[in-house]
Amino acid sequence: MKTLKHISVAFLIMLISGLSSYYLKPNNPIMMTFLFLIVGFFFFNLILRKSLSFKSYFTSRYNLFTTKVRTEKSYDIPKELMFEKIIEVINHSDFKLVETDENKFEILAISKITFKSWGENLYINFETKGNETIMKFCSSTLFQMYSWGKNEKNYDNLLNEIESSLIV
Amino acid sequence: MPIIVNLDVMLAKRKLKLKELSEKVGVSTVNLSILKQGKVKAIRFTTLDAICLALDCQPGDILEYVE
Repeated sequence: MKTLKHISVAFLIMLISGLSSYYLKPNNPIMMTFLFLIVGFFFFNLILRKSLSFKSYFTSRYNLFTTKVRTEKSYDIPKELMFEKIIEVINHSDFKLVETDENKFEILAISKITFKSWGENLYINFETKGNETIMKFCSSTLFQMYSWGKNEKNYDNLLNEIESSLIV
Repeated sequence: MPIIVNLDVMLAKRKLKLKELSEKVGVSTVNLSILKQGKVKAIRFTTLDAICLALDCQPGDILEYVE
């Protein structure tokens, strides 16, 4: 089902790019404005991504230019300790720790922009429910309407690192 | 879990702080705190060995099985 979804999106992208190159020539003002807007929007997101203050902008369901993956995982470790633990794990992972808020128990980590990925913002926050700490992940792409499953893959890698770090 | 970690008891007996033990053993204070609360998934023999060496004690002084 997931492969079928990926193939459909790839077909749609090819169709749009094929049609746009047929109907819009490079010197067309509409094409130039469109390109300028895309590049501008990319740099705008690039600036905003490095602050926890813009979390709601990236994770909002109304932001159609980012793909969001939300997951939860509970641990029987106190919130304060889990917060420190995740910071430690992120520092040893492929993610880069950008900002932490000790009062709100929020973490922002980002992944690098590579040829394979446009980059990803990972927002983590913690909640206490009884004796358990619920860790809420929200992974958002920087500038991508479709993530091709990369967010889920990165999340799984991070979870594996957390699990293995609980062996001391 | 019926296995209790008595690391805090041994630390008090040796008058050591968690940070000092962390420096001696080479395990982060976060990991030692999680271990102290008995919330770790597993403990390596190398870590146990280093803790016993630092605290001059036996593994049984740190880990206790309670029914």
